[in-house]
Amino acid sequence: MIDKINTIKQEIKTFIINNEEDLEAFRLEFLSRNGKIQKMFGLMGSVPNEQKARVGKAMNEVKNIAQSVFDEAKTSLESDSKKVFGALDDITLPVEPAYTGSYHPLTQALDEIKQIFLRLGFNIADGPELEDDFHNFTALNFPPDHPARDMQDTFFVRKSDDPDIDDLVLRTHTSPVQIRLMKEQQPPVRSIMPGRVFRNEAVTAKSYFQFNQVEGLYVDKNVTLGELIETLVMFARLMYGSDVKYRVRPSFFPFTEPSLEMDIWWESDKGGQWLEILGAGMVDPNVFKAVDVDPETYTGFAFGMGVDRIAMLRYGIDDIRLLYDNDIRFLQQFKS
Amino acid sequence: MKISYNWLRQYLDFNISPEETADKLTLLGLEVEEIEETGSDFEGFVVGEVLDVRNHPNADKLVLCDVNTGDEQVQIVCGAPNVAAGQKVPVAKIGATIPVPMKDGSYLTIKKTKIRGETSQGMTCSEAELGPSDDHTGIMVLNGDTSVGTPLKKVLNTEKDTVFEIGLTPNRPDAACHIGVARDLSAVVDAKLKNPYKEATVANTALTEEISIKIEDPDKCHRYVGLIVENVKVDESPAWLKNRLTAIGLRPINNVVDVTNYVLHEIGQPLHAFDYGLIGKKKIIVKSFDEVTKFTTLDSIERTVPAGSLFICDGNGPVAIAGVMGGENSEVTEKTSKILIESAYFDPSSVRKTSKQLALQTDSSYRFERGIDPNLQLRAAKRAAELIAEITGGTILEGAEDVHPVKTDPQIVPLRPSRVNHLLGTKLGKDKIQSILQKLEFGVEEASGRLLCSVPTFRPDVTREVDLIEEVGRVYDYNNIPKPESAPFIAPEPLSEAEQFQQRLRSLAKSLGYKEISTNSLLSKKEADLLAGEELQIHTLNPVSQENTTLRTHLTGGFLKALRYNLNRNAVNLKFFEIGHVFRKSDNGTWIKGVEEQIHLLFGLCGNRKEDNWQSETQPWTIFDLKADIEALFHDLGIADDIVQETKGNQSLRYWYKEEIVGVLNETEETLLKGFDVEQDAFAAEVNVTRLFDLGLAQKQITYTAVPRFPTFEFDAAFTVDASVRAGDLAKQIKETAGVLLKSVTVFDVYEGENLGKGKKSIAFRLTFLDSNKTLNIKDVEPVVQKIVQTLEKTAGAKLRA
Repeated sequence: MIDKINTIKQEIKTFIINNEEDLEAFRLEFLSRNGKIQKMFGLMGSVPNEQKARVGKAMNEVKNIAQSVFDEAKTSLESDSKKVFGALDDITLPVEPAYTGSYHPLTQALDEIKQIFLRLGFNIADGPELEDDFHNFTALNFPPDHPARDMQDTFFVRKSDDPDIDDLVLRTHTSPVQIRLMKEQQPPVRSIMPGRVFRNEAVTAKSYFQFNQVEGLYVDKNVTLGELIETLVMFARLMYGSDVKYRVRPSFFPFTEPSLEMDIWWESDKGGQWLEILGAGMVDPNVFKAVDVDPETYTGFAFGMGVDRIAMLRYGIDDIRLLYDNDIRFLQQFKS
Repeated sequence: MKISYNWLRQYLDFNISPEETADKLTLLGLEVEEIEETGSDFEGFVVGEVLDVRNHPNADKLVLCDVNTGDEQVQIVCGAPNVAAGQKVPVAKIGATIPVPMKDGSYLTIKKTKIRGETSQGMTCSEAELGPSDDHTGIMVLNGDTSVGTPLKKVLNTEKDTVFEIGLTPNRPDAACHIGVARDLSAVVDAKLKNPYKEATVANTALTEEISIKIEDPDKCHRYVGLIVENVKVDESPAWLKNRLTAIGLRPINNVVDVTNYVLHEIGQPLHAFDYGLIGKKKIIVKSFDEVTKFTTLDSIERTVPAGSLFICDGNGPVAIAGVMGGENSEVTEKTSKILIESAYFDPSSVRKTSKQLALQTDSSYRFERGIDPNLQLRAAKRAAELIAEITGGTILEGAEDVHPVKTDPQIVPLRPSRVNHLLGTKLGKDKIQSILQKLEFGVEEASGRLLCSVPTFRPDVTREVDLIEEVGRVYDYNNIPKPESAPFIAPEPLSEAEQFQQRLRSLAKSLGYKEISTNSLLSKKEADLLAGEELQIHTLNPVSQENTTLRTHLTGGFLKALRYNLNRNAVNLKFFEIGHVFRKSDNGTWIKGVEEQIHLLFGLCGNRKEDNWQSETQPWTIFDLKADIEALFHDLGIADDIVQETKGNQSLRYWYKEEIVGVLNETEETLLKGFDVEQDAFAAEVNVTRLFDLGLAQKQITYTAVPRFPTFEFDAAFTVDASVRAGDLAKQIKETAGVLLKSVTVFDVYEGENLGKGKKSIAFRLTFLDSNKTLNIKDVEPVVQKIVQTLEKTAGAKLRA
């Protein structure tokens, strides 16, 4: 019996199906009511009981093989019948990809910075680019006629000798948002404040009259300089890699005391050098007084960094003007 | 500010290299921005005697010299025209390095060599090869008395030095001099400062016979000290003094002026030396003038000094602009034999004002405006007088005039050691704090747990406890502050809605295929005029160039400039977006009164949506592409159904939401394109992000409504209307007439043709109806369609086409 089954199996395998007629012939030969397989099952009664299990299994196997050969041949014939290979059926014809847009490199660098500070528990706040003297200077402890004001070349929009009329300026830093934030809300405050700032400078490869900063502020009871440094170190590690080499050194800003700057070690073809990446410090008590926060109860830290500079370092951009030319050949390099 | 390493070592015995010194200074807050080597020790350079000069057999312009260098006689090939036997000349021996770099920046080291076949064992040097000089004409000929073999360093009196360029922060006037820098350094290198100004000095006798000094404006001049040296011989300064000054980039002038400069850079007290003989009526009067005054300063420039500026006057009139620069009329010259040394304290803001108005910053004004030590004047004058007397052979007249109307005593500032650690996050003991402050010359006394700190008067920046804490911190070194033992556990606030809203719009723009640009906030007046009237514009008073004078009222200007930039570079298919602030004059104002500062989102298109390819012809972008995107935005915000469109001419559409304009769509007008030199059609839309946010869109809640269980029913209806009738208006009326069953209206065909009649067009609408309770059929919809037909006929003369 087993031999007979094997013969049918062999016949199935050698049956050639080239067209619909062959397919129909195959069906009649094996799978139809009067086909060989059905007949084969009809012989089951004559099989000795002790062999029934083995023979039944072999018969089923043959039946499955026949069915799958039939199905495959059928599918293949059907698709072949459609294959009138027209000129437009060529799937290798090139297409124009449906490009998405892109974010400006400044946005991408800023997004990275934002993500880091969001992870460190900071919120994001904003303020105006056109500021009054009080927020941009006075409340930040820049006394009138003080050399500290020389550190920043200011664009004035309104300048008046009348002490009741506040000068208006294009903000020279994002620090005035600190003042707005603290006036709005009592501590704890923990926020970064990104935005565009302005300095009255000629346009060169190294300087532009506008650029972008991110300011940060954390005010609460018991905030220390140690925590400031630790926060900055966490930022530097997340931004520049966990093996970043850094140092902090004392500096001066009117609105922080003590003040410091952070440098990271930057390797380049010309060898390594320290690069300043941000300024920071403990909020000066005079700033707290300007916004009615008690400097004995609260301490806090603030920091600020230039986004343009960070983007330029990150992408190896050597001319700041590229950031504002909007050359599409430049922009499309920043896939995001 | 330049600080010389050698000069520092005059006051401090420390044994660290210039590089390490620079690092220490930087970590103290005196950031060294640049390190420069100056001068030379001339190792391997000696005085040589030219014994014989012969022609070079193979070169016309070269000669062979036999030179005695003391320990040997060598042949040197030389090209100098002036070389002659018997001369004493500087010789760089084999192995010596020429201190002046060659053109490529490298340094030449002398080797035994052959020049045109003749051996040369060294080099005879010109002045230009030894240091900064323009004299290339020939070798330097030394005095005939100098003995052969003497190291050149001795003869030229030069030395190698390292100069630090320090970026001095405005809070540190005390460090604007070598002793000040040395003082900071002494706190971290464990060496004691040797300060030649330390001992207190009082003027025991007056000099009233010789000079009368009067301060008429004590608010601006707190102290004026005059000292007199006579029998001075004004001449060139000695080499040591010239070396000090040239190292820090100063040009030596004469031995009197050089000493005053030396003292300024040594201790930070600006001094001025007058020719005593030129001081009228033996009088010095310090006073401000109410009127503008013409005055010629030392540099022979006549300056117009603004009213209110402080002057030093003699019996006849001004002789110096106080704290800024002396006058030509009383300058020390070679004829001078008796000098008056001025050592004064001028009010910082007065000097700053004058200096700013004159646009003249000098080494003096730089220090006065930051605030010098108000108690140093007499000591500095004495130091200068002594040096001048020593160098010029002069005699100091005994006594001094010391007019001192405003006295400044050291301030006492209490410091809580606990507060130091509270603010810095350190665990410093009282002793450590005290020792740091004492190294910086603060007087420290303990009183009931606090430290009473007497602030030296050269530290006007230290007035509060927190300032003392900074001193402790910076000397301790911020890098030594321990990590906090535990990170504070903070509860983050939800991300601000304004931020989320902007992020959402930005990501939508990107997903629609727009590339983000970042354009200038400032435009030229001409460009600004093309976008808005003067009544809306805000200008800067001190623009950096006429290209950037006026704050942008729209983002479209920046977009058009970006287009121009790219079109000029043959990039023609541009799809840009920008989110940025725009500024308009207004009666109310957003943040600042009178200024409406809002955030806009710009979408802009220029060129082709698709270039021709095997699938289709070239498809230029049209206004409708932009319209589709801006409406996608409204759709995304969930307000598409509540937006009302208003036409503004043929090329512009305004979008209203809750009775506010929230967006404007424009086909850029010819004049605007011309004004911005854009030679291709462009489309721009601006969305007012601030307004959308203020209208509460960021808070938009999504609430689920049931998915319809019944199918929609579509009905097509074409109307013939006058050509001037607008599809948008008809669609609006259809919606209003149809009521709740109508879900959407689209236009599937617009057609003009002779068969319709002249001035007519056909608009075919597809109306989609839906009832959430049943399957609609034609009988349900017919009455609604009837109503629509009647309405459109009545209001727009529309005829339903069969």
